[in-house]
Amino acid sequence: MRQFINILSTFREYFVLSLCILISVALLTLNDNPQIRSIRSITVAAIGFAQNMFGFIPDYFSLKKENSILRERNVTLAEEASLLRESKLENIRLRQLLALKERTSLSYIAANVVGKNQQPMRTTITLDAGENEGVQYNMPIVTDAGLAGKIVGTSGGYSIGQLMIHKDFRVSARVQRARADGILYWDGEFMQLKNVPRTQDVKIGDAVLTSSYSTVYPEGIKIGVVSSVRVEAGALFQNITVEPAVNFSALEEVFVVVHVPDSSRVALETQLIK
Amino acid sequence: MRQILFYGFLSLFFLVIHATLVNYLTIGNAIPDILIIWVVYIAVTSGQMSGLVAGFLIGLFVDFISGGVLGLSALTKTLVGFLAGYFFNENKIEQNLSTWRFVIAVGLAALLHNAIYFLIFLQGTDVGWWRALVLHGIPSTLYTTVLAMIPMFIFRRKYQ
Repeated sequence: MRQFINILSTFREYFVLSLCILISVALLTLNDNPQIRSIRSITVAAIGFAQNMFGFIPDYFSLKKENSILRERNVTLAEEASLLRESKLENIRLRQLLALKERTSLSYIAANVVGKNQQPMRTTITLDAGENEGVQYNMPIVTDAGLAGKIVGTSGGYSIGQLMIHKDFRVSARVQRARADGILYWDGEFMQLKNVPRTQDVKIGDAVLTSSYSTVYPEGIKIGVVSSVRVEAGALFQNITVEPAVNFSALEEVFVVVHVPDSSRVALETQLIK
Repeated sequence: MRQILFYGFLSLFFLVIHATLVNYLTIGNAIPDILIIWVVYIAVTSGQMSGLVAGFLIGLFVDFISGGVLGLSALTKTLVGFLAGYFFNENKIEQNLSTWRFVIAVGLAALLHNAIYFLIFLQGTDVGWWRALVLHGIPSTLYTTVLAMIPMFIFRRKYQ
Protein backbone atom coordinates (compact mmCIF):
# COMPACT_ATOMS: atom_id res chain seq x y z
CA MET A 1 0.00 0.00 0.00
CA ARG A 2 2.78 2.36 1.01
CA GLN A 3 4.59 1.55 -2.18
CA PHE A 4 1.46 2.38 -4.16
CA ILE A 5 1.15 5.73 -2.36
CA ASN A 6 4.82 6.41 -3.09
CA ILE A 7 4.27 5.71 -6.77
CA LEU A 8 1.21 8.00 -6.78
CA SER A 9 3.18 10.72 -5.03
CA THR A 10 6.08 10.44 -7.48
CA PHE A 11 3.84 10.57 -10.51
CA ARG A 12 1.10 12.77 -9.06
CA GLU A 13 1.22 15.24 -11.97
CA TYR A 14 0.57 12.44 -14.44
CA PHE A 15 -2.12 11.00 -12.19
CA VAL A 16 -3.98 14.35 -11.93
CA LEU A 17 -3.46 14.96 -15.66
CA SER A 18 -5.07 11.59 -16.46
CA LEU A 19 -7.95 12.37 -14.11
CA CYS A 20 -8.57 15.80 -15.69
CA ILE A 21 -8.44 14.29 -19.20
CA LEU A 22 -10.83 11.54 -18.13
CA ILE A 23 -13.35 14.06 -16.72
CA SER A 24 -13.05 16.23 -19.86
CA VAL A 25 -13.67 13.26 -22.15
CA ALA A 26 -16.62 12.18 -19.99
CA LEU A 27 -18.06 15.69 -20.26
CA LEU A 28 -17.59 15.62 -24.04
CA THR A 29 -20.03 12.71 -24.14
CA LEU A 30 -22.57 14.41 -21.85
CA ASN A 31 -23.24 17.55 -23.90
CA ASP A 32 -26.98 17.08 -24.33
CA ASN A 33 -27.64 15.99 -20.77
CA PRO A 34 -30.59 17.93 -19.16
CA GLN A 35 -28.58 18.58 -15.96
CA ILE A 36 -25.76 20.09 -18.02
CA ARG A 37 -28.32 22.29 -19.79
CA SER A 38 -29.68 23.58 -16.49
CA ILE A 39 -26.16 24.42 -15.23
CA ARG A 40 -25.55 26.18 -18.54
CA SER A 41 -28.71 28.17 -18.06
CA ILE A 42 -27.22 29.63 -14.84
CA THR A 43 -23.93 30.53 -16.53
CA VAL A 44 -25.82 32.09 -19.47
CA ALA A 45 -27.63 34.38 -17.01
CA ALA A 46 -24.40 35.29 -15.19
CA ILE A 47 -22.38 35.99 -18.32
CA GLY A 48 -25.30 37.82 -19.96
CA PHE A 49 -25.43 40.15 -16.98
CA ALA A 50 -21.66 40.76 -17.09
CA GLN A 51 -21.67 41.36 -20.85
CA ASN A 52 -24.62 43.72 -20.50
CA MET A 53 -22.54 45.84 -18.10
CA PHE A 54 -19.82 46.29 -20.72
CA GLY A 55 -22.29 46.89 -23.52
CA PHE A 56 -21.75 50.65 -23.49
CA ILE A 57 -18.25 50.32 -24.99
CA PRO A 58 -18.45 51.00 -28.74
CA ASP A 59 -16.61 48.65 -31.07
CA TYR A 60 -14.78 51.08 -33.35
CA PHE A 61 -13.88 48.58 -36.12
CA SER A 62 -17.45 47.24 -36.32
CA LEU A 63 -19.00 50.70 -36.39
CA LYS A 64 -16.79 51.84 -39.23
CA LYS A 65 -17.56 48.74 -41.28
CA GLU A 66 -21.25 48.94 -40.46
CA ASN A 67 -21.40 52.56 -41.56
CA SER A 68 -20.06 51.89 -45.02
CA ILE A 69 -22.27 48.81 -45.42
CA LEU A 70 -25.36 50.79 -44.37
CA ARG A 71 -24.62 53.57 -46.85
CA GLU A 72 -24.25 51.01 -49.61
CA ARG A 73 -27.42 49.20 -48.56
CA ASN A 74 -29.37 52.43 -48.41
CA VAL A 75 -28.85 53.00 -52.11
CA THR A 76 -29.78 49.43 -53.00
CA LEU A 77 -32.85 49.46 -50.76
CA ALA A 78 -34.22 52.67 -52.21
CA GLU A 79 -34.03 51.07 -55.63
CA GLU A 80 -35.55 47.82 -54.40
CA ALA A 81 -38.35 49.55 -52.52
CA SER A 82 -39.90 50.97 -55.66
CA LEU A 83 -39.66 47.61 -57.42
CA LEU A 84 -41.20 45.86 -54.40
CA ARG A 85 -44.16 48.21 -54.30
CA GLU A 86 -44.94 47.22 -57.86
CA SER A 87 -44.40 43.54 -57.10
CA LYS A 88 -46.60 43.68 -54.02
CA LEU A 89 -49.53 45.09 -55.95
CA GLU A 90 -49.05 42.49 -58.62
CA ASN A 91 -48.80 39.78 -55.95
CA ILE A 92 -52.06 40.84 -54.32
CA ARG A 93 -53.81 40.71 -57.64
CA LEU A 94 -52.43 37.27 -58.49
CA ARG A 95 -53.21 35.85 -55.03
CA GLN A 96 -56.77 37.03 -55.32
CA LEU A 97 -56.99 35.45 -58.71
CA LEU A 98 -55.60 32.13 -57.65
CA ALA A 99 -57.25 32.24 -54.19
CA LEU A 100 -53.99 31.18 -52.63
CA LYS A 101 -53.94 30.57 -48.95
CA GLU A 102 -52.20 33.49 -47.25
CA ARG A 103 -49.02 32.37 -45.60
CA THR A 104 -49.12 32.55 -41.81
CA SER A 105 -47.26 35.64 -40.72
CA LEU A 106 -44.46 34.99 -38.24
CA SER A 107 -44.12 36.80 -34.96
CA TYR A 108 -40.80 38.07 -33.64
CA ILE A 109 -39.16 38.85 -30.31
CA ALA A 110 -36.83 41.84 -30.47
CA ALA A 111 -33.50 41.47 -28.70
CA ASN A 112 -30.26 43.39 -28.33
CA VAL A 113 -26.90 41.71 -28.73
CA VAL A 114 -25.25 42.34 -25.36
CA GLY A 115 -22.18 40.21 -25.87
CA LYS A 116 -20.16 38.11 -28.24
CA ASN A 117 -18.38 34.96 -27.10
CA GLN A 118 -15.43 34.79 -29.43
CA GLN A 119 -13.90 31.35 -29.83
CA PRO A 120 -12.21 30.19 -33.02
CA MET A 121 -14.94 28.82 -35.32
CA ARG A 122 -17.63 28.87 -32.66
CA THR A 123 -18.68 32.46 -32.21
CA THR A 124 -21.92 32.86 -30.28
CA ILE A 125 -23.87 35.95 -29.25
CA THR A 126 -25.64 36.76 -26.00
CA LEU A 127 -29.10 38.30 -26.33
CA ASP A 128 -30.96 40.27 -23.68
CA ALA A 129 -34.16 38.29 -24.23
CA GLY A 130 -34.72 34.87 -22.70
CA GLU A 131 -37.39 32.47 -21.53
CA ASN A 132 -39.32 35.31 -19.83
CA GLU A 133 -39.85 36.88 -23.24
CA GLY A 134 -40.77 33.56 -24.87
CA VAL A 135 -37.41 32.65 -26.39
CA GLN A 136 -36.94 28.90 -26.74
CA TYR A 137 -34.17 26.52 -27.73
CA ASN A 138 -33.68 26.20 -31.52
CA MET A 139 -35.68 29.34 -32.46
CA PRO A 140 -34.20 31.12 -35.51
CA ILE A 141 -32.47 34.50 -35.17
CA VAL A 142 -32.89 37.01 -37.99
CA THR A 143 -32.06 40.62 -38.77
CA ASP A 144 -33.60 42.94 -41.31
CA ALA A 145 -31.07 41.54 -43.80
CA GLY A 146 -31.84 37.86 -43.27
CA LEU A 147 -30.98 34.75 -41.27
CA ALA A 148 -28.31 35.15 -38.59
CA GLY A 149 -28.44 31.91 -36.59
CA LYS A 150 -30.44 30.06 -33.95
CA ILE A 151 -30.87 29.90 -30.19
CA VAL A 152 -28.72 27.28 -28.44
CA GLY A 153 -29.07 28.26 -24.79
CA THR A 154 -31.61 30.11 -22.68
CA SER A 155 -32.06 31.47 -19.18
CA GLY A 156 -34.75 33.71 -17.68
CA GLY A 157 -33.59 37.01 -19.12
CA TYR A 158 -30.85 36.04 -21.59
CA SER A 159 -30.20 33.61 -24.38
CA ILE A 160 -27.22 32.39 -26.39
CA GLY A 161 -27.39 32.43 -30.18
CA GLN A 162 -25.29 30.29 -32.47
CA LEU A 163 -24.35 32.32 -35.55
CA MET A 164 -24.23 30.96 -39.09
CA ILE A 165 -20.45 31.35 -38.92
CA HIS A 166 -20.21 28.40 -36.53
CA LYS A 167 -18.90 25.01 -37.53
CA ASP A 168 -22.03 23.25 -36.16
CA PHE A 169 -24.46 25.40 -38.14
CA ARG A 170 -26.53 23.66 -40.84
CA VAL A 171 -29.64 24.83 -42.68
CA SER A 172 -31.71 23.42 -45.51
CA ALA A 173 -31.49 26.07 -48.21
CA ARG A 174 -33.00 26.70 -51.62
CA VAL A 175 -31.65 28.71 -54.54
CA GLN A 176 -34.70 30.87 -55.26
CA ARG A 177 -34.52 31.11 -59.05
CA ALA A 178 -33.28 27.60 -59.84
CA ARG A 179 -35.40 25.92 -57.09
CA ALA A 180 -32.30 23.89 -56.23
CA ASP A 181 -32.16 22.52 -52.67
CA GLY A 182 -29.07 21.86 -50.61
CA ILE A 183 -27.52 22.00 -47.19
CA LEU A 184 -25.77 25.21 -46.21
CA TYR A 185 -22.80 25.13 -43.83
CA TRP A 186 -19.76 27.21 -42.93
CA ASP A 187 -16.38 25.79 -43.90
CA GLY A 188 -14.39 28.10 -41.66
CA GLU A 189 -14.05 30.78 -44.31
CA PHE A 190 -17.13 30.74 -46.58
CA MET A 191 -20.73 29.56 -46.52
CA GLN A 192 -21.01 26.52 -48.78
CA LEU A 193 -24.15 25.04 -50.29
CA LYS A 194 -23.65 21.32 -50.72
CA ASN A 195 -25.61 18.49 -52.34
CA VAL A 196 -26.81 20.57 -55.31
CA PRO A 197 -26.64 18.38 -58.44
CA ARG A 198 -24.48 19.66 -61.29
CA THR A 199 -27.49 19.62 -63.60
CA GLN A 200 -29.19 22.43 -61.63
CA ASP A 201 -28.91 25.86 -63.22
CA VAL A 202 -27.40 27.95 -60.40
CA LYS A 203 -25.90 31.33 -61.28
CA ILE A 204 -23.85 33.94 -59.42
CA GLY A 205 -26.20 36.48 -57.82
CA ASP A 206 -29.07 34.02 -57.24
CA ALA A 207 -30.80 34.54 -53.89
CA VAL A 208 -30.57 31.70 -51.36
CA LEU A 209 -33.47 31.22 -48.90
CA THR A 210 -34.39 28.75 -46.18
CA SER A 211 -36.29 25.81 -47.64
CA SER A 212 -39.43 24.00 -46.55
CA TYR A 213 -37.38 20.90 -45.68
CA SER A 214 -36.19 22.42 -42.42
CA THR A 215 -38.10 21.86 -39.21
CA VAL A 216 -36.08 24.51 -37.34
CA TYR A 217 -36.30 27.41 -39.80
CA PRO A 218 -39.47 28.68 -41.46
CA GLU A 219 -39.44 28.69 -45.23
CA GLY A 220 -38.42 31.77 -47.19
CA ILE A 221 -35.99 33.59 -44.89
CA LYS A 222 -33.21 35.17 -46.92
CA ILE A 223 -29.78 33.66 -46.26
CA GLY A 224 -27.64 35.37 -48.89
CA VAL A 225 -26.67 35.32 -52.55
CA VAL A 226 -24.61 32.89 -54.59
CA SER A 227 -21.11 34.34 -54.95
CA SER A 228 -19.39 31.53 -56.87
CA VAL A 229 -20.29 28.30 -58.65
CA ARG A 230 -17.72 25.66 -59.52
CA VAL A 231 -18.31 22.33 -61.18
CA GLU A 232 -15.38 19.95 -60.98
CA ALA A 233 -14.90 17.38 -63.72
CA GLY A 234 -16.50 14.07 -62.80
CA ALA A 235 -18.23 15.46 -59.71
CA LEU A 236 -21.95 14.84 -59.16
CA PHE A 237 -22.51 18.02 -57.21
CA GLN A 238 -21.62 21.68 -57.67
CA ASN A 239 -19.42 23.69 -55.30
CA ILE A 240 -21.55 26.71 -54.47
CA THR A 241 -20.35 29.53 -52.25
CA VAL A 242 -22.94 31.82 -50.67
CA GLU A 243 -22.31 35.35 -49.45
CA PRO A 244 -24.42 35.80 -46.28
CA ALA A 245 -26.88 38.69 -46.25
CA VAL A 246 -26.12 39.46 -42.61
CA ASN A 247 -23.00 41.32 -41.52
CA PHE A 248 -21.94 39.28 -38.48
CA SER A 249 -19.36 41.77 -37.27
CA ALA A 250 -21.99 44.48 -36.79
CA LEU A 251 -24.87 42.68 -35.10
CA GLU A 252 -26.59 44.91 -32.57
CA GLU A 253 -30.34 44.34 -32.77
CA VAL A 254 -31.82 41.03 -33.84
CA PHE A 255 -35.19 39.28 -33.85
CA VAL A 256 -35.93 35.84 -32.57
CA VAL A 257 -38.53 34.20 -34.77
CA VAL A 258 -41.30 32.58 -32.72
CA HIS A 259 -41.30 29.38 -34.70
CA VAL A 260 -42.02 26.07 -33.05
CA PRO A 261 -41.71 23.12 -35.40
CA ASP A 262 -44.90 21.22 -36.16
CA SER A 263 -44.75 18.42 -33.59
CA SER A 264 -46.75 15.97 -35.73
CA ARG A 265 -44.32 16.45 -38.63
CA VAL A 266 -41.27 16.02 -36.36
CA ALA A 267 -42.81 12.91 -34.78
CA LEU A 268 -43.58 11.40 -38.18
CA GLU A 269 -40.11 12.13 -39.55
CA THR A 270 -38.43 10.77 -36.41
CA GLN A 271 -40.57 7.64 -36.62
CA LEU A 272 -39.58 7.10 -40.24
CA ILE A 273 -35.88 7.57 -39.52
CA LYS A 274 -36.10 4.94 -36.75
CA MET B 1 -4.07 29.02 0.81
CA ARG B 2 -3.60 32.73 0.15
CA GLN B 3 -2.01 31.91 -3.19
CA ILE B 4 -4.95 29.68 -4.18
CA LEU B 5 -7.39 32.48 -3.31
CA PHE B 6 -5.25 34.94 -5.25
CA TYR B 7 -5.21 32.67 -8.32
CA GLY B 8 -8.95 32.01 -7.94
CA PHE B 9 -9.81 35.68 -7.77
CA LEU B 10 -7.60 36.62 -10.72
CA SER B 11 -8.89 33.65 -12.75
CA LEU B 12 -12.42 34.90 -12.25
CA PHE B 13 -11.33 38.40 -13.25
CA PHE B 14 -9.67 37.15 -16.46
CA LEU B 15 -12.69 34.97 -17.26
CA VAL B 16 -14.98 38.01 -17.08
CA ILE B 17 -12.52 40.01 -19.21
CA HIS B 18 -12.34 37.13 -21.69
CA ALA B 19 -16.13 36.89 -21.95
CA THR B 20 -16.82 40.59 -22.18
CA LEU B 21 -13.90 42.51 -23.67
CA VAL B 22 -11.99 40.10 -25.94
CA ASN B 23 -14.60 40.84 -28.62
CA TYR B 24 -13.13 44.36 -28.88
CA LEU B 25 -9.61 43.00 -29.43
CA THR B 26 -10.52 40.56 -32.19
CA ILE B 27 -8.95 41.28 -35.58
CA GLY B 28 -10.52 39.23 -38.37
CA ASN B 29 -10.04 35.55 -37.57
CA ALA B 30 -7.44 36.25 -34.90
CA ILE B 31 -9.03 35.91 -31.47
CA PRO B 32 -6.62 36.43 -28.58
CA ASP B 33 -6.87 33.99 -25.67
CA ILE B 34 -5.77 35.79 -22.51
CA LEU B 35 -6.70 32.71 -20.49
CA ILE B 36 -3.87 30.75 -22.13
CA ILE B 37 -1.43 33.47 -21.04
CA TRP B 38 -2.84 33.27 -17.51
CA VAL B 39 -2.63 29.46 -17.34
CA VAL B 40 0.96 29.58 -18.63
CA TYR B 41 1.78 32.22 -16.00
CA ILE B 42 0.40 29.97 -13.23
CA ALA B 43 2.35 26.97 -14.56
CA VAL B 44 5.60 28.93 -14.93
CA THR B 45 5.36 30.43 -11.43
CA SER B 46 3.81 27.53 -9.48
CA GLY B 47 4.59 24.37 -11.40
CA GLN B 48 2.98 21.71 -13.52
CA MET B 49 0.39 20.58 -10.98
CA SER B 50 -0.99 24.10 -10.40
CA GLY B 51 -0.91 24.78 -14.13
CA LEU B 52 -2.90 21.76 -15.14
CA VAL B 53 -5.49 22.09 -12.36
CA ALA B 54 -5.94 25.80 -13.14
CA GLY B 55 -6.16 24.99 -16.87
CA PHE B 56 -8.81 22.37 -16.24
CA LEU B 57 -11.00 24.59 -14.03
CA ILE B 58 -10.67 27.67 -16.24
CA GLY B 59 -11.36 25.59 -19.36
CA LEU B 60 -14.43 24.07 -17.75
CA PHE B 61 -15.82 27.50 -16.99
CA VAL B 62 -15.12 28.65 -20.56
CA ASP B 63 -17.07 25.64 -21.84
CA PHE B 64 -20.05 26.56 -19.72
CA ILE B 65 -20.17 30.20 -20.77
CA SER B 66 -19.42 29.69 -24.46
CA GLY B 67 -22.38 27.42 -25.20
CA GLY B 68 -20.04 25.18 -27.19
CA VAL B 69 -18.82 21.64 -26.72
CA LEU B 70 -18.55 20.91 -23.01
CA GLY B 71 -15.22 19.45 -21.93
CA LEU B 72 -13.24 20.63 -24.95
CA SER B 73 -11.67 23.75 -23.48
CA ALA B 74 -11.21 21.91 -20.17
CA LEU B 75 -9.18 19.26 -22.01
CA THR B 76 -7.11 21.66 -24.12
CA LYS B 77 -6.37 24.08 -21.29
CA THR B 78 -5.39 21.19 -18.99
CA LEU B 79 -2.80 20.18 -21.59
CA VAL B 80 -1.67 23.82 -21.86
CA GLY B 81 -1.07 23.95 -18.11
CA PHE B 82 0.75 20.64 -18.18
CA LEU B 83 3.01 21.58 -21.10
CA ALA B 84 3.79 25.03 -19.69
CA GLY B 85 4.77 23.34 -16.43
CA TYR B 86 7.94 22.12 -18.14
CA PHE B 87 9.08 25.76 -18.16
CA PHE B 88 8.82 25.89 -14.36
CA ASN B 89 12.06 26.27 -12.44
CA GLU B 90 11.78 27.31 -8.81
CA ASN B 91 15.09 29.15 -8.91
CA LYS B 92 14.46 30.95 -12.19
CA ILE B 93 10.87 32.17 -11.92
CA GLU B 94 11.75 35.83 -12.37
CA GLN B 95 14.07 35.03 -15.24
CA ASN B 96 11.45 32.88 -16.95
CA LEU B 97 8.78 35.55 -16.69
CA SER B 98 10.89 38.45 -17.86
CA THR B 99 12.58 36.84 -20.86
CA TRP B 100 11.44 35.51 -24.22
CA ARG B 101 11.10 32.07 -22.58
CA PHE B 102 7.67 33.17 -21.32
CA VAL B 103 6.57 34.31 -24.77
CA ILE B 104 7.85 31.06 -26.33
CA ALA B 105 5.99 29.05 -23.65
CA VAL B 106 2.76 30.93 -24.45
CA GLY B 107 3.29 30.49 -28.20
CA LEU B 108 3.88 26.73 -27.92
CA ALA B 109 0.99 26.33 -25.49
CA ALA B 110 -1.38 28.29 -27.75
CA LEU B 111 -0.34 26.27 -30.80
CA LEU B 112 -0.88 22.98 -28.96
CA HIS B 113 -4.19 24.28 -27.61
CA ASN B 114 -5.53 25.23 -31.04
CA ALA B 115 -4.20 22.10 -32.77
CA ILE B 116 -5.92 19.74 -30.30
CA TYR B 117 -8.98 21.97 -30.08
CA PHE B 118 -9.64 21.79 -33.84
CA LEU B 119 -8.75 18.10 -34.01
CA ILE B 120 -11.64 17.26 -31.66
CA PHE B 121 -13.95 20.16 -32.50
CA LEU B 122 -14.08 19.43 -36.22
CA GLN B 123 -14.90 15.74 -35.89
CA GLY B 124 -17.87 14.82 -38.07
CA THR B 125 -17.85 18.08 -40.05
CA ASP B 126 -16.84 18.98 -43.59
CA VAL B 127 -14.24 21.45 -42.36
CA GLY B 128 -10.64 20.31 -42.69
CA TRP B 129 -8.31 20.42 -39.66
CA TRP B 130 -5.40 21.95 -41.54
CA ARG B 131 -7.63 24.60 -43.15
CA ALA B 132 -9.13 25.54 -39.77
CA LEU B 133 -5.70 25.67 -38.18
CA VAL B 134 -4.29 27.92 -40.91
CA LEU B 135 -7.34 30.21 -41.08
CA HIS B 136 -8.14 30.47 -37.38
CA GLY B 137 -5.66 28.59 -35.20
CA ILE B 138 -2.41 30.15 -36.36
CA PRO B 139 -3.67 33.79 -36.45
CA SER B 140 -5.08 33.33 -32.94
CA THR B 141 -1.83 31.68 -31.76
CA LEU B 142 0.24 34.56 -33.13
CA TYR B 143 -2.05 37.17 -31.60
CA THR B 144 -1.97 35.47 -28.20
CA THR B 145 1.84 35.20 -28.43
CA VAL B 146 2.14 38.90 -29.24
CA LEU B 147 -0.10 39.76 -26.29
CA ALA B 148 2.15 37.67 -24.01
CA MET B 149 4.90 40.22 -24.63
CA ILE B 150 2.99 42.74 -22.50
CA PRO B 151 3.38 40.81 -19.20
CA MET B 152 6.92 39.87 -20.22
CA PHE B 153 7.94 43.54 -20.57
CA ILE B 154 6.11 44.41 -17.34
CA PHE B 155 8.04 41.71 -15.45
CA ARG B 156 11.30 42.72 -17.14
CA ARG B 157 10.81 46.26 -15.90
CA LYS B 158 9.85 45.05 -12.46
CA TYR B 159 12.79 42.67 -11.97
CA GLN B 160 15.51 44.84 -13.49
